[in-house]
Amino acid sequence: MTTDIAERRKNLWSGLGVTLLSCWLLIWIIPRYGGSGMAFGMHPQRLATLGAWVMLLCAAALALASLIQLKKSRAPLFKLPPLSNIWHQSWPFFYVLLFIGLATFIPLTWLAPFIVGTLVALLGERRWYVILLAAAIPTAALYLLTVHLMRIGVV
Amino acid sequence: MPELSAITGAFSDALTLHSISVILGGVLLGYLVGVIPGLNRSVAIAIAIPLTFYMSAYAAIAFLIGLSKGTAAGSAVSAILLNTPGEPSSAATCLDGYPMAKNGQPRKALKVGLLASVIGDLLSTLLLIAVVIPFASVALKFGPYELAAILIFALVFIAGMAGGSFLKGMAAGGMGVILGTVGLDPETGAMRLTFGFAELMEGVPILPLVIGTLALSEMFVQLDEYRRTKGGSSVRLGHNPDDDLSYGEFKKTLPTIFKSTGVGAFVGALPGLGPSVGSFMAYGLAKRGAKDPHSFGKGNPNGIAAAEAADNAVIPASYIPLFGLGIPGSVSAALLVGAFMIHGIQVGPLMLRDHPQMLFTIFAGMVVASLLMLAVGWYGLRIFAKVTNVPQNIVIPVVIFLCLAGIQVQGYGTFGLLTVFGFAIFGYFLKKHDYSFVTFLVAFIVTPMLEMNLRQSVILSGGEISILLQRPIALFFVVATVLMLLHLAWSSYRTYRQRRSVSL
Repeated sequence: MTTDIAERRKNLWSGLGVTLLSCWLLIWIIPRYGGSGMAFGMHPQRLATLGAWVMLLCAAALALASLIQLKKSRAPLFKLPPLSNIWHQSWPFFYVLLFIGLATFIPLTWLAPFIVGTLVALLGERRWYVILLAAAIPTAALYLLTVHLMRIGVV
Repeated sequence: MPELSAITGAFSDALTLHSISVILGGVLLGYLVGVIPGLNRSVAIAIAIPLTFYMSAYAAIAFLIGLSKGTAAGSAVSAILLNTPGEPSSAATCLDGYPMAKNGQPRKALKVGLLASVIGDLLSTLLLIAVVIPFASVALKFGPYELAAILIFALVFIAGMAGGSFLKGMAAGGMGVILGTVGLDPETGAMRLTFGFAELMEGVPILPLVIGTLALSEMFVQLDEYRRTKGGSSVRLGHNPDDDLSYGEFKKTLPTIFKSTGVGAFVGALPGLGPSVGSFMAYGLAKRGAKDPHSFGKGNPNGIAAAEAADNAVIPASYIPLFGLGIPGSVSAALLVGAFMIHGIQVGPLMLRDHPQMLFTIFAGMVVASLLMLAVGWYGLRIFAKVTNVPQNIVIPVVIFLCLAGIQVQGYGTFGLLTVFGFAIFGYFLKKHDYSFVTFLVAFIVTPMLEMNLRQSVILSGGEISILLQRPIALFFVVATVLMLLHLAWSSYRTYRQRRSVSL
């Protein structure tokens, strides 16, 4: 029952999110950036508009059905997950984004040992030789592939 | 029909040392990926596509097909020894595999799984070869009306059958269609949704899309799950003399293997259903038809045979709509389309006309892959059993790195890395909220083809819808699409009513 309510709540908010996204696409993005010009067959925007309408109708129906179900079961519409959960779910994204930012300035091959090694350590590995090997082998493989096999230099 | 010389030529091409070593590499890598819990077929193919850039088109496809087949067979190892399926479709294998391994017969369980996998895969591959050539010959006669109608039907069918909510499936399909239209409009030359980025002129690059949505997002999901379940220990292969498969025991599983192969091939040929449906359906049928159904779930070899034969039969059969009509029916088939596109080949019935030799060589390579799967699985049993112990905290960081490296190696640069990151967030959303992944990916891949055929239909018909009355096949699929929509809407409503009555 609790899982059911959590699922409905998830459906409600994801449905609303997709509904808003499709409205934004239909009102702003597709008319402005979807392409224009004289077409004999289909207008360049036609298919994208159709896709956005499908998204809008389905997501709105999903949100509406979930809303009715939640109201009927008198469950709260909004329940904030614990902050620790949000942090646990989001830190990997920041971690990867940090290295993508660094990869703009430093070749990925030089960053590789840090990307792998730090994450292995963060995930609880304490044996130094395991961390070292886990970091060194993929780095060496990338170096070998790009410099010696593909001959495109250090990436 | 193909000439005999073309078929023998294809087999001689597939049996060269280079070809065998490429397929072997794919099978071996696939087996390893399948054995390691947390890595799956889609992740493996997504991060392996960049490796195939420097291969010939045939070698690339053979490698990826070998990889795909290897993951299906390898996933049984972790399901049996660790009770953790390497692929979701091997979950049914856990039901009897793990109890059998716990009862001191891990080797026997692994061998039953392997033989069932190989037979299921081989028979389904032969079925694919037998069915797809006449199928593609008929499909070549289709015009834009028929193709547009079939593509729309396939998208609705996949959205409805891919599991989860139909509404979410359709919404995911809509997202795929929108992304599929990005780039230069082929008729007017207008820039669509490129936002001034020259990199998007030819459409959303497929590699960052698949690596981001399939592989990187999966690693984010795995990281979240790793926090909760830090993995278990696997059953070790001992030296028990009773723990081996005799011919008599294997013979008893053969009827189940044949029946389950049929189930798997049927499920695979229908777009969107996927191997999980096939393996559970075959398991259920085997249990229902058994003389001792109560022994299922407690280590019955027929349970393993049913699940594995069906699981492996689904993959080759899912290529029937792909090679026959150009419609990818599964995520791995959609990824193969991506690989074909990268190598400049349009997959579908046109392959039979434009690249027949390559098509037959791929089929021959698939048969070779099935046989190599047996050799790799049989002789590598002990090694693969040890690989199940590779901890997640090493696998996840390495795969994250491989995702980024795959993009950099292809020269996509910072734009590619940011695109992959964006798609990883998008894929994470799809996975966490249970939006059909396969519908999104298939819609993205078939949209250019759908748009071209729709456009041609509109021009040819002059906007006159009554032209459909002169095109019975197109009309059939239009009616089938409407009926399918009504049926899916009605079943969704019924499920909603049932759930409401339970909660009241």
